[in-house]
Amino acid sequence: MKNWPWAILAPAFIFVLIGIFSPWLMTHDPAAQDYAALLEGPGWAHWLGTDYLGRDMFSRIIGGARTSLVAMVFVLVAALAIGVVIGSFAGYVGGKTELVLISVIDIALALPSLVIALALMGVFSGANFDWMSDYWKMIVALTMAWWANYARMSRAVVVAELQQPYIEAARVMGASHIWIFTRHILPHVLGLVVVYASADAGALVLAIATLSFLGLGVAPPTPEWGQMLVDGMSYIEENAALVIIPGLALTAVVVSFNLLGEAFALQKVPRAVRGRLLSRKKAARAAEEVARKVVEA
Amino acid sequence: MQRMFMRRVGLALLLMLAATALTFWLVTAAPGNVAALIAERAAGAGADGEMIAKIADDLGLNDPLPLRYARWLGDALTGDFGISLRTGKPMAEEFGERIPMTLALLTGGGVLALVLSLAMGIAGAASNGGGIDRVLHGMALVGASTPNFFVAAMLVIVFSVWLGWVPTFGVSGLTSWLLPWITIALFPASVLARVVRVNLQDTMSRPFATTGFAKGLTRGAVLLREALPNIAIPYMTTFGAQFTLMIIGAIVVERVFGLNGVGAFFIEAIRFRDFIGMQATLTLFVVFFVSINLIVDLLAMLADPRLRRPRKA
Repeated sequence: MKNWPWAILAPAFIFVLIGIFSPWLMTHDPAAQDYAALLEGPGWAHWLGTDYLGRDMFSRIIGGARTSLVAMVFVLVAALAIGVVIGSFAGYVGGKTELVLISVIDIALALPSLVIALALMGVFSGANFDWMSDYWKMIVALTMAWWANYARMSRAVVVAELQQPYIEAARVMGASHIWIFTRHILPHVLGLVVVYASADAGALVLAIATLSFLGLGVAPPTPEWGQMLVDGMSYIEENAALVIIPGLALTAVVVSFNLLGEAFALQKVPRAVRGRLLSRKKAARAAEEVARKVVEA
Repeated sequence: MQRMFMRRVGLALLLMLAATALTFWLVTAAPGNVAALIAERAAGAGADGEMIAKIADDLGLNDPLPLRYARWLGDALTGDFGISLRTGKPMAEEFGERIPMTLALLTGGGVLALVLSLAMGIAGAASNGGGIDRVLHGMALVGASTPNFFVAAMLVIVFSVWLGWVPTFGVSGLTSWLLPWITIALFPASVLARVVRVNLQDTMSRPFATTGFAKGLTRGAVLLREALPNIAIPYMTTFGAQFTLMIIGAIVVERVFGLNGVGAFFIEAIRFRDFIGMQATLTLFVVFFVSINLIVDLLAMLADPRLRRPRKA
């Protein structure tokens, strides 16, 4: 922990703090329109200026932090839980069940997660899903697109761990499956998966913003960075700050989360995985690689 | 060897089949009700229940799902992906017009990513911990973290609005392709540059590299002649993954620059509940994604004999 790049992780911490305390930090109502102050530059009344409806940019950036943070936490926790349960179950039970579940995981990974999320947003636009707000549609779509990677990694870890002699020892001692799984295997699974999730948080913030940028995420009155950016695109000649400010906020947060993931990886993940936490697919493969090595040893 | 090849191809085909079946189920289960949408197109607001029922019957929308999928698959295999509910044109025609645009985006972006990543990775490894290395590391990190729509927006702001060098919209001539290509290439180039850098460093500490130094080769010679060929497989694998992810880049870029590609069509299909268009585009994506992965796997098997051995589960 000594060599951690604490300073550079500041944006992630600030992002989380701002997200939590956003209602007390906003100087204006982020949805309030002020037609006397359209597209204004930074000033005393509006610290970061106003957008094309005269809404306060500073308050919208602060509000957008909360929108992203809440969605990200929901998706990450849900995807992780689903992935760990399905992946661990597949790995622990083995046999035909495992084969079926692996096939399902492979199918879910046959398209990039964001494309799946986009398609699901299309599916959810049907009348049968009107009971969900757009915000929840986005969270559900992203969760359904995101769990498969976690399932794949969890399974690899479980399979590797099951080969260890101490598992057999536990079994000989009469430990139940539940006991072996929760006491011995689950900690290993969570160890790797949580590390991966911390690196994944950045990708998720990006995905949320991309969905909104494409007009398929959070609905208009709610402040969201990707949406602020696309709104600002129509006014780049008058006030480019409308695009630059949310873009910079987004980039700072993603850089910070990616660094957090890298720092975690260098500290905790086995050497074989180290330095390979570059892409999700690669990371999953590396985990399997570790698993295979353990099996062969 | 040949059996391994055939096995991979067979698995890939199976995966395509399963993935299209899943998307078919999802998209048709979507309660937009295709029949109602078609009736609305034909008769405006005057579409009544009877008409909708007749259309549903004519199109066989009341048949069981497996039958409908089989019928769809049969049509799709002969190149008939149905008629877009949004534009009213056959999907094959839509694709014919739009695929070249998206392919041009992906190819240009892919080449640019290849060149940039190799240059950055090798330069970083050559400088090994020096100033250039650190700057390149920082650049790669920022490049891999900047949203591609923000990159596109910044390029437009700087080169179109401030400098006025290129038009903000559409494509005319080579210069207008540059901004989309840079946008789409930045993320994969950054990720790949790190793959090159990390793997080169790893390889440089292997015994054969030491032998190279002992023979009196310069660092550059060892780097290029001894180390570089060894990173081919990790590079290829990651390049394949990144190339498929460029689909997302294409979707964003086509929207920002107003290009009429497949990605833009996909987004419009989603917004207008054009489920036939959605299914056709998703199928195209699945085929693209699975084939690229397959090609990368086969190439890796060709390059590395160790991968040809059937491995234990």
